[in-house]
Amino acid sequence: MLPKMPRPRALGALGVALIWLFLALFLVYPLTRIFYDAVTDEAGRLTLANFAGFFTDSFYLRALWKSLVLGVATVAASSVIGIAVAFLLVRYDFRGRGLFSYLTLIPIISPPLVGTLGFTFILGRAGSVNVLLMDLFDMLKPINFLYGIHGVVLVETLHLFPMITLNVVDALGKIDPALEEAAESVGARGWKKFWTITLPLTTPGYVAGALLVFIWTFSDFATPLILGVQDLLAPQAYLNIVQFVDRRIFRMGIVISALMVFLAVVFLLVARRWVGLKDYSSLSYSVVARRRLSPPRQAAAVAFLSVLMLLSFIPYVGVALASFSRGWALTPLPLSYTLQHFERVIVETPKYIVNSFLYSGLAVVLCIVVGVPIAWILGRSTMPGRGALDSLNTLILAVPGTAIGIAYIRAFHFDLPGFDRGLTSYWIVMPLVLAVRRLPYTVRGAYSSLQLVHRSMEEAAASVGASGLRAFRDVTLPLIWKGVVVGSLFSFMTSLQEASAVLFLALGGWEMVTNGIFAFYIAGSSSEAAALGVILIAVAALSVVVINRLAAGRMGGVFG
Amino acid sequence: MVRLIAVLAALAALLAPSGFAGRSYAQGPAPVESELNLITPVSKFIHDAALKAFADYAKERWNVTVKVSAIPAGTPVAYGRITEWKGKPEVDIFWGGESALFEKLAEQKLLQKVEISTAAWDSIPASIGKPKPIPLKDKDGFWVGTALEPYGLVYNPKRIQRLGAPEPKEWEDLLNPKLKGEVAQCAPTRSSSSNATYEVMLSRFGEDKGWEWLARLAANTGHFTARSRDVPTVVAKGEFAAGFAVPSYMAFEEKLAGFDIKFVAPTYAFVTPEPMAILAGARNPKAARAFIEFLLTERGQKVFMERGLFPITPKFKVQGVPGSTAELAVEFTGGVRSYFDREVANVYDEAVAAKRSDALKVRFRSDIEAKWEDLKKK
Repeated sequence: MLPKMPRPRALGALGVALIWLFLALFLVYPLTRIFYDAVTDEAGRLTLANFAGFFTDSFYLRALWKSLVLGVATVAASSVIGIAVAFLLVRYDFRGRGLFSYLTLIPIISPPLVGTLGFTFILGRAGSVNVLLMDLFDMLKPINFLYGIHGVVLVETLHLFPMITLNVVDALGKIDPALEEAAESVGARGWKKFWTITLPLTTPGYVAGALLVFIWTFSDFATPLILGVQDLLAPQAYLNIVQFVDRRIFRMGIVISALMVFLAVVFLLVARRWVGLKDYSSLSYSVVARRRLSPPRQAAAVAFLSVLMLLSFIPYVGVALASFSRGWALTPLPLSYTLQHFERVIVETPKYIVNSFLYSGLAVVLCIVVGVPIAWILGRSTMPGRGALDSLNTLILAVPGTAIGIAYIRAFHFDLPGFDRGLTSYWIVMPLVLAVRRLPYTVRGAYSSLQLVHRSMEEAAASVGASGLRAFRDVTLPLIWKGVVVGSLFSFMTSLQEASAVLFLALGGWEMVTNGIFAFYIAGSSSEAAALGVILIAVAALSVVVINRLAAGRMGGVFG
Repeated sequence: MVRLIAVLAALAALLAPSGFAGRSYAQGPAPVESELNLITPVSKFIHDAALKAFADYAKERWNVTVKVSAIPAGTPVAYGRITEWKGKPEVDIFWGGESALFEKLAEQKLLQKVEISTAAWDSIPASIGKPKPIPLKDKDGFWVGTALEPYGLVYNPKRIQRLGAPEPKEWEDLLNPKLKGEVAQCAPTRSSSSNATYEVMLSRFGEDKGWEWLARLAANTGHFTARSRDVPTVVAKGEFAAGFAVPSYMAFEEKLAGFDIKFVAPTYAFVTPEPMAILAGARNPKAARAFIEFLLTERGQKVFMERGLFPITPKFKVQGVPGSTAELAVEFTGGVRSYFDREVANVYDEAVAAKRSDALKVRFRSDIEAKWEDLKKK
């Protein structure tokens, strides 16, 4: 007699349990661990002394204040630019619109660390611009474009404004034209229509983007460090943690990480509350009639976008020049060129590239295995705990990578039962942490396309006797695969670019491209770091092309 | 059946990571293990070369392919990770940084004695420098020096000229008002070279005057880098005109990369022996020992001598054919071929430094880091 097949329902329940177990083990537990570390002392006693230490230290308080100011300033600057670009691209027609809408995505793929280095090569005190200016005007000292908080705002804004653009474009695409027509019919035109109808309708998308920009800036430690700004939370967390000598300061790093996670969660909740109340958008994309701009306005639009793109391309130009140059200093362009840096990173140390693809690939497989069912649970089921699942998934976006990295070290260093080492001694921890960090993109990608598939199709499948699982496999999956691929590609691309968490976890032999970038940079070989950066940019650009083809510009949902 | 087991075992050997295979299936006791891992603040330029030279040597000498790797980490990070490993280290060797930290690790029983051959051990003098001697090996045998390395200052001649300042020769030259905002340095909380040089200033002038001097330096500082290795980088690029507390080889590496950068070891520049120790519980102790012994041979010392470092023993001098990198290094570091045929002026006292280490960092945070914005305005 054949063994009885497990019933699909039982299988489904097992799957759901496994997903919860995965999230509990690899997200909730490590995060709990750093909160636990933050409220205990070396002897493991509960104490609030660590937080008291933070809130009575004027240096840390200044860091907190400056971090908030930096976040707000970056959001403000990238909102102005991001919204303007989004409106131009969605609502108006002008020469080169298609090209610009593609180019707008490019700043986002700027690789960690080298992106900022790229800025210093062009806009630094000895960057091309200053060298030209100093020769031209016989200046004694260069203009300081970058070193200081203003430089951080500049670099982050030019890097992150597409997050706002993408989300607003997505939201604009979902506005029912009837609403705006109604506004016009009662006399609201131009700015009035914009302020009273269009802007509120795009709020949910905008807030999602703004939150990401805020949290990204808030938790980025590499950019401020290169630009010599150390009195911010993220650099302090990083610096305090990577120096383990002074246990008190080390613990302060953990306290700062915990505080950053806490603040990120608060921002997230506030934003959700606000957006949740204001979500009027319809689910489907509408066809938008674009207005043709008059020739002078068209010229202005093209000029604005061109200048913006030129500025956002500064890091790429800088990185590319540095990667091919030898001994480039105090000249507008390098004087001698070489391929030795590429040779060194590709031929001599291929491990960076091999590891990156291996770990990111594995991470994406995990993302799909865990993420697509999560999307289905969120979008289709009435299972209890959906709200919690959704919150957890969004929480991941908000947790700074540094915090996750350190949380893993703290949480998984104990010997695994049956092994004589901890999880952190096995390379599998790398794809694991990547999968957890990048899960939301896969979930969002799958979820947003799930929203576009009408339930009636699955109901039809069910009515002819297909089980939930079977209907999902035979009906839903073929309809949403594009969304899954787009989300997964995003997970893949951002995994390749992940720098913060893996920096803490990589042991000898496990280094990814981003570890290589840091290693070469730290070793003083910024040209090799740049060469690795160029490779990352190339892979990411390719992913963006594919994503763009598949998603046809509707990828905002992935971020929100 | 036996055959089947043999086949399976062979398969397992093929599939297992090389480290396991080497240990379980080598014929007889191997002279060294087939793996060696370091954690080190010594930059890639040096540690890669040293590891590669050793791997070549091991292949020639014992026909063992040693898989070498290094975790690059600043001194405080390296120290921290070693203590976090709690005697079950992921690497075999800790290399570089302040010898005071090695003493601390030995106290925590996280090091094992190096136990290299007597000849190799005795080839290294006990100390160098006056009035305070700098120990070159541990009296208890837990660490041993590998190369001598001065922490000096660097400058970009083109930028200095443009600013109309004289080329800096002594530490005081960095306080020149013309260099306002043009000095780069790394915080002593993150760099052992910076920490040691801060300590030198405190020893020279006494606590109060010393911190006054350092505050003046901070007032001239335009950039605190995240790592000590960034200091010569930003000076070589011309982002800043001069740099404080830079290990000689880091500056030399920039020179070799084609940049115009100059290095000076001013009076009282600290000279470090780049200590090396084997961690307690190391998985490859024999390879670790062989590595240290190798570094102390002429072939090993050459790795250093060709890269802007100096021999740890009076037996060798930096020299090569005209135009060789060794000769270039001699020229770059001001004509020095060995630190044993000259007077080394030193005021850095290891015992004082070890005792003051935490206080120095605390005071840096409160008096320099937190007040830097105000200091700059002076």
